[in-house]
This record gives sequence, structure tokens and C-alpha cells, in this order.
Amino acid sequence: MSGTRFVNERMVGTSVLPNEAIPLVEGEGRFLNDISMAGMYHVAFLRSQHAHARLLKVDVSEARALPGVIHVLTGADLLGQVEPFKSMPNRFSGGQSTQHWLAVEKVRFCGEAICAVVAESRALAEDAIERIEVDYDPLPVVTNARAGERDGSPLVHDTCPNNYLIKREYQNGDVDGAFAAAHLVVKRRFQLGRKQAMCMEGRGCVAAWRDGSFKLSMWMSHQLPYVVRHYLARHLGLGETDIRVVAPQTGGGFGQKASIYPEEFVCAYLALQLRRPVKWVEDRLENMVASTHAREHDIEVELAFDAEGRILALQSDIWTDVGAYSTYLWSAGMEPLQTGGLMPGPYQVKALRYVTRGVATNKTPVGPYRAVGRPSASAALELLLDQAAAQLGIDPVEIRRRNIIPQSQMPFRNANNLVHDNVGYLPCLDMAVSKSGYRALRAEQREMLAKGKLRGIGIVCFAELTGLGTSTAVGPGTLLQPGRDAVTLRIETTGTLTLAAALPSQGQRIATAMRQVAADELGMRIDDIACLTNDTGMAPYGFGTFASRTAVFGSGAVIQAAGELRRRILDVAAHLMQVPAEELMLVDSVVETIDRTKSLPLRQLAERSFFSAKDIPSEINKGFEVTAFYDPKHGSFAAGAHVVVVDVDEETGGVEIVRYVAAEDVGRLINPAVVEGQIIGGIAQGVGEALLEQLVYDENGQPRTVTLADYLVPSALEVPHVELHHANTPSGALGGFKGCGEGSIIGALAGISCAVADALRQRGGDIFQFPATPERVLRGLGVALDEAV
Amino acid sequence: MKAPGFDYRAPRRLAEATAILQDAGPDGRVLAGGQSLMPMMNMRIVAPQILVDINRIEDLARLEVDGGTLRVGALVRHVDILNSPLVAAGWPLMREATTYVAHPAIRNRGTTCGSVAHNDPAAEHPSVLLTLGGSVVIASAGGRREVQAHDFLQGIMTTALEPGEMVVELRYPAARPGTGWAFVEFARRLGDFALGGAAALLTMRHGVCEEARLTLVGMGEGPVRVLAAEELLTGQRIDAAGARDLFAAAARLAMGSVEPTEDVHAGSGYRRHLAGVMTRRALNTALARSRGEHHA
Amino acid sequence: MPEQLSITLTVNGRTHTKDVAARTSLADFLRDQLHLTGTHLGCEHGVCGACTVTVDGRTVRSCLMLAVQADGREVTTIEGLKDPQGAWHPVQKAFFEHFAIQCGFCTPGFFATAIELLGSHPDPTEAQIREYLSGNICRCSGYQAIVEAVQAAAAALREQATQGHAPRERALHDHERG
Repeated sequence: MSGTRFVNERMVGTSVLPNEAIPLVEGEGRFLNDISMAGMYHVAFLRSQHAHARLLKVDVSEARALPGVIHVLTGADLLGQVEPFKSMPNRFSGGQSTQHWLAVEKVRFCGEAICAVVAESRALAEDAIERIEVDYDPLPVVTNARAGERDGSPLVHDTCPNNYLIKREYQNGDVDGAFAAAHLVVKRRFQLGRKQAMCMEGRGCVAAWRDGSFKLSMWMSHQLPYVVRHYLARHLGLGETDIRVVAPQTGGGFGQKASIYPEEFVCAYLALQLRRPVKWVEDRLENMVASTHAREHDIEVELAFDAEGRILALQSDIWTDVGAYSTYLWSAGMEPLQTGGLMPGPYQVKALRYVTRGVATNKTPVGPYRAVGRPSASAALELLLDQAAAQLGIDPVEIRRRNIIPQSQMPFRNANNLVHDNVGYLPCLDMAVSKSGYRALRAEQREMLAKGKLRGIGIVCFAELTGLGTSTAVGPGTLLQPGRDAVTLRIETTGTLTLAAALPSQGQRIATAMRQVAADELGMRIDDIACLTNDTGMAPYGFGTFASRTAVFGSGAVIQAAGELRRRILDVAAHLMQVPAEELMLVDSVVETIDRTKSLPLRQLAERSFFSAKDIPSEINKGFEVTAFYDPKHGSFAAGAHVVVVDVDEETGGVEIVRYVAAEDVGRLINPAVVEGQIIGGIAQGVGEALLEQLVYDENGQPRTVTLADYLVPSALEVPHVELHHANTPSGALGGFKGCGEGSIIGALAGISCAVADALRQRGGDIFQFPATPERVLRGLGVALDEAV
Repeated sequence: MKAPGFDYRAPRRLAEATAILQDAGPDGRVLAGGQSLMPMMNMRIVAPQILVDINRIEDLARLEVDGGTLRVGALVRHVDILNSPLVAAGWPLMREATTYVAHPAIRNRGTTCGSVAHNDPAAEHPSVLLTLGGSVVIASAGGRREVQAHDFLQGIMTTALEPGEMVVELRYPAARPGTGWAFVEFARRLGDFALGGAAALLTMRHGVCEEARLTLVGMGEGPVRVLAAEELLTGQRIDAAGARDLFAAAARLAMGSVEPTEDVHAGSGYRRHLAGVMTRRALNTALARSRGEHHA
Repeated sequence: MPEQLSITLTVNGRTHTKDVAARTSLADFLRDQLHLTGTHLGCEHGVCGACTVTVDGRTVRSCLMLAVQADGREVTTIEGLKDPQGAWHPVQKAFFEHFAIQCGFCTPGFFATAIELLGSHPDPTEAQIREYLSGNICRCSGYQAIVEAVQAAAAALREQATQGHAPRERALHDHERG
């Protein structure tokens, strides 16, 4: 096209109602558990009751004899038949772990699968599990990262000295010099508990033998269908073309459904062996122990400042309890590396050092979860900034303003080697300060204190790297570096458009967003566009939905494919309408001349191009199907600043969030209502992380939080009303988009943590362990709780 | 998480139910609201062989006042308590406690009798029954017996109920005129079992406390009556100025009367501290209400 | 096979007579035997609220009720919320239009609870809505859009009430657009 883009800019930026939600409104969403097939068997797993033990005997004879039981599979049955999960090598130091799909010889965490029972119903399979006899020989356990790295600690894997699954030391700049010359050095410890994504729908799969040309079809509640297909092929010894993976309607993901787990692979194996469809649906008790956990950081962080409160250097020591195995696909490096590497966030750091460790323990493996590493990194740093501000006698807002990366200095390469560009940290901070009435909040806080009421204010800034392309690693140090995704655009014979991509949705309304972008880029009515995002049998190659990447990758690929498709459409139209292509435009699914005197509906054009192809020279009629890949290279920083106000009950230690103001830069908005749902949803999970959610283990490695009555997910009462403001700066990616799925949880943990600490500071107290349980708050206030009465 | 198999019986008459329970002995279990039992069955923590569903025995759904005593049948649901003008007028402590019980859909099924029979240490209703000096009517094939709350509630999830027996009714005497009440608790989320709570009654006459009742909830054992605090308060003139010190003393006695167990949400020391806080709050509210003041 | 019991119940206005195993929960019965898979199981121990349905006019956790206990009862699930003309219930419409559905797994339980709330509180405050819905967990939305949707549904229902009848405004195809 001659430099002119005929684009109707109408859909992007509009809260288009998501027709993909209509089945959900009517109770007709087809989730994994809603899929049934003739002759389908049901699978249940026997799981380890011990955190660390040798398996002396696994006797399945009684279970096998139970009526209705088809098969019982043990780890021994799989030996030599399938390739176990050997963790991804990492270019930093640390050992490797091997995870058998069903435990062989040893179990390493409570909940590890030992046997799979196949039966005519799930209830019968569970009956059979109770009849399996296992003799365990308990081994000493590792339940804490710091203890686990000590010489002489029991080992989770003989291949991992000091239980390191990863250890990395990083330095950039003269850190020692900066600390020696500093006007002020501040230091603190920050601990965050173990939590998990707690999708409302657990994992699960239906694995079917022979489905059309495929030997194996997998319906699987998962974020990365193509990646699953690759690994199924590799581990089962099949070709990728033998396998189809479909992610049906999925009830939340948040990273927990982005890893490769044994259970689904066992089901695939069973389907191939039994030549029957098998279904496994993870129940909540399983989900609490068998799906990846997240976080569990212990951080010591130190900052050196000059007399003006500018950061000279940052150093941190990080321990992450990564659980019993290096999570397959992502490795155990996710949390430790991102916590260390991304700690500088939106602040200029001249010298950086960190030592970070992923220590194996006898607990459920830790895997990716919303904003991996950053919430803890940010909270540790933001709490320390407040501590420094207090010592320097400057306001928390001011110390942030002095250190934030200004747009005038962008592109800005920070000490962690990340380049910040097209991101408005300061505009977010300014907006949060003004919209919250920050000064008035401080005055109110003082008035309340005078009345004996404890209020705290947190103001925090964060950076969130989104839409990572080939030049920036999702998991630094791992071999897996996804960076390109494709979209196929195809005009159907009726002139409607099918948009296909391997970017499944777990509720993010990806289809709607992609349709909006395509409508604008092509000049089509959005109702004429359908979107398929979940099926390797239909979509072009893509890595899937994770790491706040989908809007960026999908939109970029749509924009690239749409350019070529529009060119082909207009070339055909030019021939049919006898008008030069330069004088044509596509508006609302109709090709029109620029002067609007002639038009040809896309429907007619498509019909003629397919059914009357003889009328159009084939060098013009190239086919209305275009696939384009997009690689956003460095990715785009999104940003935010949150102001959180909490009231602390000094008698009970209860914390109530009384105000929440968020200012966010998530680039150009595709669907504002969807974006707001992502941001507020992230904040809600941050409320849980900061105040409620923690997976607790005892000293024997037994999980103590095993139900949703023990593990506290925030309800509508704990999540505050969020006042959300946009301070968006378009990114450098195609279309100016950024990811928005993760950032807000960073601000929420940091903001709430800072608000609680700010409240306690007024009484000379502080808090170092999160979530901020009532007991920790009271201890932070110095209330003596241990004295006998 | 599918319940193990069982033999299901749904009698329409109480006599039938007790006959089945007698035959079943320790293998039998009563299903009323099912809001505690069904989760335990789904988790396979309990596996009764014979499940006696009493939901078809219409007589058990009665909620009525008889000679000043509130009688709550075994099928009276939490929501019935909340909606009852009788309860609101005469047994406000019970109503207030019920507002802390779980969530609407649970309250629509769960029963007061079931809560008392289950006797979870953090549950609200056992403490209310104890505070109000109520009793439990137990039926078996051999007949009926009435057991006082303090004899019925024996410890963590333990009661005086024998195999073959079931709770058919709870009886709550009316409070005397001039009695202020309060049920307070502190939970990490509303509707959760409390980290700790307290139920208090103060019967005041011309500024003097004629009778005091104080019970702690969620301290790891069953509900705990704080007799020492009740003794301290009884007979005292309680005015606004004096209440502060007196209630602080009662709070210390409350803290001294419990040896709470630790769990994933809080340690023993925290819970003991909370016993004091809840005691003060409950007594303050009860005192205000005895004077006709209403603060929540 | 364990003993099967025959039950007759009405679900979404239709009467069914089925044989069911005693241990089958109402949720599993609705899903597996009536193929009404709109009722979702999120925890099977009564905490998450996803499986909430209405039995004889009151919400219940269908994971904590046995199918046999529903014998003779009237059950309403998400599939039964539309009016006879096929128009959405105002709660369905409001959730859709306020983007109160993300993954949609918890949605059926929220519908049942919100409809029960609006039956007794035609004009609830935000605090009342949050408290009434606090037994239903949504992991995606942060609840804000849900609260707004319930407020909007309340307004729509009040308007219907003042008009004296219940014209479920606009036909379904309006929603199919956009």
C-alpha cells in the first residue's frame, strides 16, 4: 500500500462486550470437567502421605480386585516406558532434579503421585485408592531454605549439594565502593510465605486415543497447549503431528497451569495403553498439594544512599524455598532469579549485587505464579525505601521521586541490564499522589493518631516487564526462551474472518481483544470476526498465555498479518471493481472507493474469490489466509503507583484496607473494562498475599493448610473498592500495547506491606514477615504474647 | 473427593430414626444440615456405614417458645434463627452469634442442633447454649433425656451423646429483664471460624450486676465459661468509670482461664491475648445494652 | 454396584425421575445424570460457593447435599435462570454488561447468591452486597465488577417491579452482538 493506512480506529480503546462470555452467562461454558466421551474411564491418584520417604512396598492387589477398577499403574510400571521429567539445565550453578511421573523408590513431598487408579467412576477410583497399601521408610526432611543449604543438611536430591537447584551471584558496578562511601546505609529482612494461585477450577485432562488423524487428543486445562504438545511428543515418543492439545474453557490459570505436571502425562500414557478415553479432574485437596506453589522468599536487602537520598547501590541476599523438584519447563530458577534481577524496579540503581538461591525442600514444587518474584522484590525494596526516608527525614513520596527513572533519561539501562523506555513511572506516581489526596491523607493520619487510632499509608511504585520477546528472557538462565508467536487471519467464504492463535484465555477476554485489534486493522465489523485461541489442531504455533504477553504478541501478529491480508483483499477488489487499489479502503467489512461512490461488500468479494476464482488472475487472487509472527524483542515496561490506606486494630492486630488508589501505565488500552478487571483482580490476589494467604507446613513437612477453610482466599469483604486511574504511555511494541495481567499484584503486596509498616512505625514498631497476620501485627507492635498469665 | 458409600435411611418419624440408630450403634450417623458432616465425608475423614437423614421428620423443624423457654428443634436452620422475631425479641444473644455463622447458603442448611452436637471448639452455638444455661434434649430408642449444656459439651468435638442417640432439641431459658448481651468474635475473614470470641450477659439492677455470664469461644477446647470473672462481676456496682478497671480485671481472669492451642492462624499466646480483648469488648457492649444503649 | 435409589425432583421447571447412588452429591447428579454442567465444583467442601444452586427457594451448596435429599424438591441451576421467552435474568444481564465474569467458573454460584440477596434486599448497599456474597470466592475479578453488577441488577429488578410485571428487556440476540 502506498503509505496510507485505512484503519477505522473504533474498536481498540472501547469496552466492547465480550461475546465469548455468553456461554458462561448461560451455564454452557465447556470446562474440562464438562467433557465426556463414550467409554471414558476416570483416574484418581494415590498420593504420598510422607514428605520424604523410601517406598518399601506398594501393594495394589486389593485395589485391582475391586469391581469397577480397570487398571492400577505404579511408578515401576512406567520405568523404561516413558522419559521422566529431568529439570531444564540452567546456566547458573545448582544441581538437576529428576521427577518420575509416579514416584519410584522415593517420595519427596506430601502429595506426590505414587499410583494412578483407572476405574469406571471417580468415586470407585477413590474407593480403590483406600485399598492400596504403601510401606514408607521415612527419611529426614528439609522444610526450610536456609537450613537446607547448610552443610550436613539432609539432601532432597543426591544430585544437588546443599540442596541448591540454582544459585546465582550477580554484580554490576562498584557495590562495595558505594556502600563504603554512602551517607546512609539501611538494611532489612523481608519474608513472604508460601502461597498458591488457587484457580477456582483445578487442573485436569481428558486424554483420548485416536481422534481422527491424531493418535492422542488431549483436552487439558492449561495455558500453553502447543508447549504441552511438544513435551507429550518428546516424553511419549510420538510425533507432534500425532497429537492434538485443546485447552477448553479454563477456570483461571495465573501461571499454575503453565507448567508440565506428571498427572496429565500419566493420563496420556493410560489413554494410549488402554485405547480408551480417560479423564482426571484435580479435586481441591489434590490441588492444594499437587499443583505448583509460589513465592516463599526470605530476603535480606541493603541500600546505600547519598546525602540527598539517592540510591548509590542495592544488594540483596535471597533464599527461595522452591520445593521438591525443579518445576518442569521453567526450572527452579523462576522465583529466585526474578526476585534478584528485577528488584531495582522503576528506580535508578547504579550498582547492584545479589546472591540468590533456589533451595530444594520436601514440599510441593514452586512454579510460576502471577508476577513471579517481583512482588517480594518490590515489597522488600519499598519497605526499605520508607525506612530510609524516615531516617533521612524526607517524605516517602519524595524519596521515590528522587530515585525513579524519569522519561527524560529514557532509554535507560539499569544496573540489572534492563532497558526502560516508553514508560511513565513519574506520571503514575504523580497521579497516585494527586488522586489520593496524599497530603490530606497524612494530615488525617496524624489526627487519628491523636485520637488513639492507628492508620498507615503506603505509597509504592513498580515496574512490570511485559510482552517479552526474543531479546529478554522470561526465565533468565533457562533454556526456554519463548519470544515469537503467530496469528493466522483467514477470510471465510462468507466474508467473515477467522482469527486463530495459540493464545488461550483463562478469563482475560483474549478473543474479544484480538477481534477488536483485527477489526480496526482490517476495517471489518467486529461481529464478522471469530477467534480461536485454544487448539493446536487449528491455530498456528504459539507459546501460549503467560507472563503478560498475550495482548502484545497477539496484537502485534494481528497487525502484521492484517496489513498483508488487507493488501490481498484490496488487490482482488481493485480487479473486480476496476479501480486502482490505492483508491480503495475497507470500512465496516465493505470495500469502498475513497470518494465513496462505489462499494463492494467483503462477503461478495470473498464469495467471488472462492467460487468464481476463474474471473480473477491467480497472481492477484493469492488466497485470503495470512499467518504472521511477531517478536516484540525487548518487551515493554508497564508501571504503576499504588496508595494504600489501612487501619490497624491495636488490640486484635486486624488490618482493614480503607482506601485503595491505583494509577497504572499499561500502554494503549484495547478494552478498558477488561484491563480494569485484570488490574483489580491482581490487586485482590495481592490483598491475599499481603494479609491472608499462606500455605503452612509443620516440621515434618506435613502440610497444615489442606482445605479452603485453612487457606484464606480473600472474599468480597477483604478486597477493597479500588479507585483506578490510568496514566498510560504507549509502548514501543506494535500498536503501543503493554501487558496488564500481572503488574498490579506487585503494587498490592508492596503497597499493603508499606501501609501496615507505616502504621506500626508510629508506635515504634515494624513488621518483617508477611502475610501480615493479626499475630504478626501485634508482635510488630511489641505486644507481649508469650508471657504466661 | 467423593464420599465413600453408605446405607442411606430417611425415616419420616423420630421413632423410626432412633430405632435405626439403635441398630446401627457406632456405625450410624445422623445427617441434619450436613454442613460439617458432608465435607468430612467428601474428604473421607469419616465414613459412616449407615446415614440417618432426619430431614424428612417434620416435627423436628419446630422453633417455638414454651413457658418462657425457647425450643429449637433439630431441623431448625441458622437462617430460621436469624429470621425469627421470637429469637430477636427474647434471645438476642443467640441471634447475634448466628450472624457470625458462615455464609447464606451454609446458614440455609446448617442447623443449630447440629452445631451443638458437633461441638467444634470455634463454633458459636455451643457457647451460646452454655452462656444462656440451656439444655439438650436427646432421644434414643429407649426414650428421651435432657442434659444441661455444661454436661453435654465435653471437649473438642466431644459431647455426652452416646451411640444410638441423637439431639432432637435445644432449650434456652429466657434472660431476666435488665440483661445486656453481647456476642463478639474476631476472625480473619467474616464467616470463618473465629480466632477467638466471647459471649457475655450482664443482668443489671440499679447499677448493680446481679448476674454475669461470660463464655469464651475458639480457645482450642470447647466453649469456656469464665466462672472467676462471673464471680468478680456479680454483686458489683458497675458505672462507666469503674467498668474500665473491672472489665480489665475480668479480661485478665479470662486470659488466665484458657490454655489455647496453636493452629495455622495464630499461636497460643495470641489467642490468650484475644481472650482478654474479646472479654472487654463483650462486657462493654453488654453493659451498654443493659442500659438500653445499642452499640454494635 | 451400590444400591440405587429412585428420586423424583423438579429441575429448572422440568420433572425428572432417576435412579441415583446414595452417596452421589446433588452437584454430581445435576452434572453427570442430568448433564447440567453449568453447576461447577470448586472445592467439594462447602467453602468456595461455585456449586451454589437454589433448592425450594433457598441457596444451598450442592456439593454438601445428597441427590437423594433433593427427592421431591425444586431445584434451580444456572441453566434455569432465563425467562420462558429466553431472555436473561437481570442478574445475568448485569454480570455480562459489567464485565463481572472473567474465567466464569465461580459465576453460577454468584448468580444464585445474588438472586437470593435481591429477593430479600431490593436495594442493597455495597456493604450488604459484599457481606452477602462473601461466601462465594472469585479469584479473577477482585469483586468490584460483581458488586457493580449486583447493584445494576437490583435497579433493573426494582424497575420491573414498578412496571408491575417482568418484561425481561430486549431479546437475547442483542447480547450476541459485540
